[in-house]
Amino acid sequence: MQLTLVQGLLLFIVGTICQFDQQTEAFYWFRPMVAAFFTGIILGNVELGVTCGAVTELAYLGMTNVGGTVPPDPLFAGIMTVVLAYTTGQSAETALGLSYPFALLAQGIGILFKTVYSFVPHKLDKYAAEADVRHFNSLVWGVTIFEAVFCGFIIFLCSYALQAPIQAFVNSFPTWVTHGLEVAGGILPAVGLAMLLLTTLKPETYPYLFIGFVMATFLKMPNVLPVAIIGASLAAIDYMYQKRFDEQKAEAIDDGGDSDGI
Amino acid sequence: MASNPTNKKGEPLQKLSKSDITRLGINSLTEQIAFSFERMQAPGWTMNMIPGFKKIYGDSKEDLKEFMTYNMEFMNTEPHMATLLQGMVLAMEEKGADRKLIQGVRNGLFGPMAGIGDSIFWFTVLPITAGIACSLAKSGSILGPLVFIGIYLVVGFSRIWFAHLGYSLGSKAVEKVGTATRYLTGAAGILGTTVIGALIPSYVSIAFQKKLVFGVGSTTVQSVFDQLLPNVLPLAVVFLIYWLFKKKHVNTIAVIGCVILFGLLMSLLNWM
Repeated sequence: MQLTLVQGLLLFIVGTICQFDQQTEAFYWFRPMVAAFFTGIILGNVELGVTCGAVTELAYLGMTNVGGTVPPDPLFAGIMTVVLAYTTGQSAETALGLSYPFALLAQGIGILFKTVYSFVPHKLDKYAAEADVRHFNSLVWGVTIFEAVFCGFIIFLCSYALQAPIQAFVNSFPTWVTHGLEVAGGILPAVGLAMLLLTTLKPETYPYLFIGFVMATFLKMPNVLPVAIIGASLAAIDYMYQKRFDEQKAEAIDDGGDSDGI
Repeated sequence: MASNPTNKKGEPLQKLSKSDITRLGINSLTEQIAFSFERMQAPGWTMNMIPGFKKIYGDSKEDLKEFMTYNMEFMNTEPHMATLLQGMVLAMEEKGADRKLIQGVRNGLFGPMAGIGDSIFWFTVLPITAGIACSLAKSGSILGPLVFIGIYLVVGFSRIWFAHLGYSLGSKAVEKVGTATRYLTGAAGILGTTVIGALIPSYVSIAFQKKLVFGVGSTTVQSVFDQLLPNVLPLAVVFLIYWLFKKKHVNTIAVIGCVILFGLLMSLLNWM
């Protein structure tokens, strides 16, 4: 299927809005789940957008900008997975594999902006020293909007302008390649989950990982909400015991102090 | 004659009202704009607080200069925690606290608070929300993205609550925040890990082809793994990648590249 110019321009607008949201992290519209949904609406195939969004969201779950780092871009991945599934007719998993170069391209653009924008604070220091709020604010908004519009334009280029060569390229793949990308697409959520575990997994949290795993493997559940409730209950139990333990320890230290005084 | 109150440097004029704090919470939705590697969140952080500060100090240019300058120092924390800190900073400015002290609180807290904010919002709220939304969305139901958008509207506007919390804690918060951080990070870690455990079998799919058997027998390779423990392969893959990150410090891009190559190889061999 081909994208029309109107669809390309609408993707430019959605891309710009979602990119602005990615810079502020206000409403998480840059996450693949939302960006792919919007893309599906624009392309007139909401179901495709939603299913691609689910597959991509999971693969990019661990790709967070925690600590000021720039990960492979979840927004570009979300939009391009839908666009590629739509134009090449491949499955969501295969399209996820195909969208990866675009996520890397956007990661590069993100790093470039955040490096180049290091000149901005120096200008802002000057305005701060003059208490010039008007210029301060317009520079802050200006650079942010510029980055959003720039990324929206790149999304327009990747989706609309490049669709014919990408389509021809993908259609030249033998079946084992597209199926291989599908296999990889099924495994990629493991990367996202492993990255999350880097922060949450500690010797004392291992048991909880297995509780969640066994529940989801052996119980029929419509979604992970029951597991979240069990997890919250376990966290509450741990919190109460931890608090009681700390209080007792504090008392024990007080007692110890008295007996030492003899 | 003068419509705006004037004052000499260093004297707070007016108290902030409840709606001023609410406005701070809404302003702070843009806390992270104009992000750069050099000062990270400092520009947005400073900009969000200016309206509140101007209410407290009126037209005093001297105070505004000092305020903007010390706030333009390096800042990087989780955005919701930034809102809480902004509330604390304005509460201290309103009391006319020494700016060196405020600066100390600001610089001392943003790091530890980033830890707690990340563990709540990135490592607990996101996996749970994504887990629920994806389970609805996998079959193509638009409820998936709608639930996701709905939850994150609440999460986004919870900044209003964080602004009020930070303002009411004010400068007393320093010790309190320290203890609360420890307990809350622990609790969020347990909840997050439990959910991630459940996401592994739900979303990582890796299985050998049904026709792949041992030698000439009829036992398929996959059935051996299934009898051992269903979903043992997804679990093993997650641990393998975790180990590559943790012990071998392999970077993300290389790991994803390997996964794609592995998929292609398995497909070429007709194993998966």
